[in-house]
Amino acid sequence: MWSRIKKSIKRLFAKKYEKISFQQIFEQFQLLLQYHQDAMELIADLGEKSGGDYIFDRKYLIDSTSRLQDLLLRMVKGLNQISSDRYYELYSTLDRIFFPIEMELRGRLALSNAPYVVSITEMPLDTPELTGGKANALGEIIHKLGIPAPSGFVITNRAYSRFVDYNELEERIHSWIELWINGKETLEKSSGQIRYSILAGIVPQDITRQIRDNAKGENVFWAVRSSAYGEDGDLSFAGLHESILNTSASQIPDAYKQVLASLYSPEALTYRRQMGMIGEEAAMAVLCQEMVDSRASGVIQTLSLESSAPNCLEIYAAFGLGRTVVEGRDASDSYVVERAYPHKIVSKRIVKKESLVRAASWGGEEEVVLPEDQQEKSSISDTTVNSLAKWAMALERYFKRPQEIEWALDAEDQVWILQSRRLAINLEVAEKVTKRGERFSSYPILIENQGVVAHTGVGSGPVFLVNSQNDMLAFPEGAALVTKYTAPWLAQIVPKATAIIAEKGSVAGHLATIAREFRVPALLGIDNVTEILSDGMEITLDTYHRTVYAGKVAELINFERVQSMVFEESPEFRLLRRILKRIAALHMIDPYASNFTPSNCVSVHDMIRFIHEKSVQELMEIPAALSRFKGAKVWKLESSVPLDLRILDLGGGIEPELSGDKVHIEQVRSLPLRALWEGVSYPDSWSTRPVDIDFKGLMSSLTRNWDAAGGGVMSAGFNLAVVSDLYMNLHLRLGYHFNLIDATMYEQAQRNHIYFRFVGGVTDLTRRSRRAQVLSQILSNYHFNVLIKGDLVIARLVDVPKEEIQGRLTVIGALIGFTRQLDIQLRSDQDIDQFVEQFFHQYENLGKSLLAGGENGQVENHGFR
Amino acid sequence: MGKLKIMVLDDEPIVCKRLKPALEKQGYEVDSFTQSADAMEQIKKVDYDIIITDLKMKGIDGMQLLTEAKQRSPKTEVIVITGFATMETAKESFHKGVFDFIAKPFKLSEIQEVVSRAEAKIRGE
Repeated sequence: MWSRIKKSIKRLFAKKYEKISFQQIFEQFQLLLQYHQDAMELIADLGEKSGGDYIFDRKYLIDSTSRLQDLLLRMVKGLNQISSDRYYELYSTLDRIFFPIEMELRGRLALSNAPYVVSITEMPLDTPELTGGKANALGEIIHKLGIPAPSGFVITNRAYSRFVDYNELEERIHSWIELWINGKETLEKSSGQIRYSILAGIVPQDITRQIRDNAKGENVFWAVRSSAYGEDGDLSFAGLHESILNTSASQIPDAYKQVLASLYSPEALTYRRQMGMIGEEAAMAVLCQEMVDSRASGVIQTLSLESSAPNCLEIYAAFGLGRTVVEGRDASDSYVVERAYPHKIVSKRIVKKESLVRAASWGGEEEVVLPEDQQEKSSISDTTVNSLAKWAMALERYFKRPQEIEWALDAEDQVWILQSRRLAINLEVAEKVTKRGERFSSYPILIENQGVVAHTGVGSGPVFLVNSQNDMLAFPEGAALVTKYTAPWLAQIVPKATAIIAEKGSVAGHLATIAREFRVPALLGIDNVTEILSDGMEITLDTYHRTVYAGKVAELINFERVQSMVFEESPEFRLLRRILKRIAALHMIDPYASNFTPSNCVSVHDMIRFIHEKSVQELMEIPAALSRFKGAKVWKLESSVPLDLRILDLGGGIEPELSGDKVHIEQVRSLPLRALWEGVSYPDSWSTRPVDIDFKGLMSSLTRNWDAAGGGVMSAGFNLAVVSDLYMNLHLRLGYHFNLIDATMYEQAQRNHIYFRFVGGVTDLTRRSRRAQVLSQILSNYHFNVLIKGDLVIARLVDVPKEEIQGRLTVIGALIGFTRQLDIQLRSDQDIDQFVEQFFHQYENLGKSLLAGGENGQVENHGFR
Repeated sequence: MGKLKIMVLDDEPIVCKRLKPALEKQGYEVDSFTQSADAMEQIKKVDYDIIITDLKMKGIDGMQLLTEAKQRSPKTEVIVITGFATMETAKESFHKGVFDFIAKPFKLSEIQEVVSRAEAKIRGE
């Protein structure tokens, strides 16, 4: 078996290296790394644009994606060149991934491929053109905010077109509208005729079948609601369209037609005419939500329109289904609650409620008389008021404008959000506010013209300083997050924050990405921010002027509130986010998983990751194949360190005119290798006790037992450094683990990188994983971006000056010695911290300035690439 | 001198939609246009202090508009926004007395800074 594998490997190599010279492989590999970096920078740029600080247009998106496509094509070519076309499939992967992106950019949102019906959990976000405004917002509530909302499905705009075509309605609708516009027919007559035609139409079977598939049988009842494009967004069609509650699955097609018909009600037609939209083709998606068996329900307005309660929200509630509240608020209880956490209840008004509307057992609704002893009771408890207020403010923070929210409380007292839309604010108020215009000089300015904007907007709240993970639990809803570092665990509190201000961090970093995901205004890179801002202090962040004011700048907040457009909702930003989803999202993380194949790449980032992994693996095979290269001069490094290192010089890496085949480190000209060797030969780095005996034994057994998962190919039994003056690619096989280090040391920081990869070990996976933890903790402290997967550690660092590369390579050199047989010694998880400490103690003089928190610790966290 | 009057012209609606509120918040009075023909009509009626215009547009392009605007009201300061690709053409417009250029995509703070400088010049600071 083994010999067969060996043979096939030999065959592979024989074929492979005929075509391309050794030199070319490394040139190609360096090019691949360069493309990789360029592509990741382009992606980071695109991501940054989604933060709202830039004004960009469609042309920018087209240019960027075409540059990205070009880089990817080069990468696919490059990988195939060094692997004798083993990844030919990637060419078609490239087309498959870029085709829909091009379609999006050309504005042909592939409606023709879209489903008629899609479940809310599976529907694409940022496509209200397909699912309508209401359903799109609900999708975001569920997917992004994790707020409980009933499950359901959307009958899409494509189904509407299908329905209209199938029943040949287009012409009919058009002519009746025209008659009305031209004054030849009354509004009522035109509207009635259109609605009659729709109601008399047949819902085609391909739609009804998909409805049935999504509707879970006859025991579940549904609320069937309109979700028109534009509805709940810039334009408010609130209340114009029909909602049909408590519908059984078999009744959905009829309810669907009723909702469609309401698109042509006299009120809806009049509204569209007023808005100048009557000439446009109307379309309607319909949302079907599972009915909540509501004990009580109602509406929240996140901003009280009463001038007496300026910092309050209002909750309206009644027993039973929501219609009572939606259609008239006089007969409902109302609660005025502070917008700020902890949402104190300012006042309650409990009215006499004589009846309630409930779901009838036969479907539909019925109104019943409320028992006398309940008529004057509060319809919801204070606890419910509190959770409603909390969710409501989370919705306003995310959607950026005051919201009007429909909610329901089920028999188990669980709160459900049914829908959230923009609250229509009186425009007279708006006029007064915008006139103020000028800078808000009456508020003290704490920070001005500093930092970089990760996500644009205005946010106001009390400062909450977060220094460690422990502070996180206490983080209140709606506070301003102020922090020194941008650690990944901050992600958990970002959705609660009204603003983020951090001392460290970059717009391409992790925190920035999360801030954009949850639309939290964020300003990063403010010196001494934790000293300027103190806990509990009320502040207002305005990223437009990169300013932080003391106090709550009501003028600014109101100005934002009445702006018609939330930039996040504009078509360009939605387009960018849809494209980013196909570009920047990373799904393929584990290179050893069985699905790590070209056919499983879904995004550009996946492809980049795949190509990178495979090109590194190609290089890993080089030592084994070295004998195949005729005339390749291999030097042996003479050293007291028992590390059998061979050196292959690509040019400029070894002192010229040297004879023989042995070199001393002083004769090595390769800067990265020298830097690394300084660490390897650091006093005590290579303590031969107690692993020495083991070590020899292990070395001899290498070819016997090497786990194919580590690299796929047998070791040649020695370690190899392929170098040039400014480049090093080092393969180490020590004991049972495999270590690859690739580094450059150019004058220009942006050309520099260190790539570190470590896998394997002699013990069980648990202990090997512990070693991975030790490595990860040490490397993270030196600002590497580290990814661990089982016992695999990948660490990367890019864009740093050569002095910093040099320092870190020395640290890695020391680390190589330190970790050799560490897995054997890591008997429990407690040992991890101890060994990390031991390392920093033992090498306390190495790379001190490069440590996190050190004076030169200026490397930004770029997120894992 | 009260509020400065600014015209924004770009055939990409997003540019107008983002710039108008940002500049209004700075205290300017802003009219925005996505059709250059409409903008051309408008400058016949109103003298703007500052015009921010894209260069490449369908129909009347930015160059024609700024030439016309400068003829009518030499005091008007013109800021040209342009794609990177058209930067060379943009430089030509310097001869026409353009105040400054800004390349797309740009940061809001960048354009705000250019506008502030133009304002300082207009107000003779």
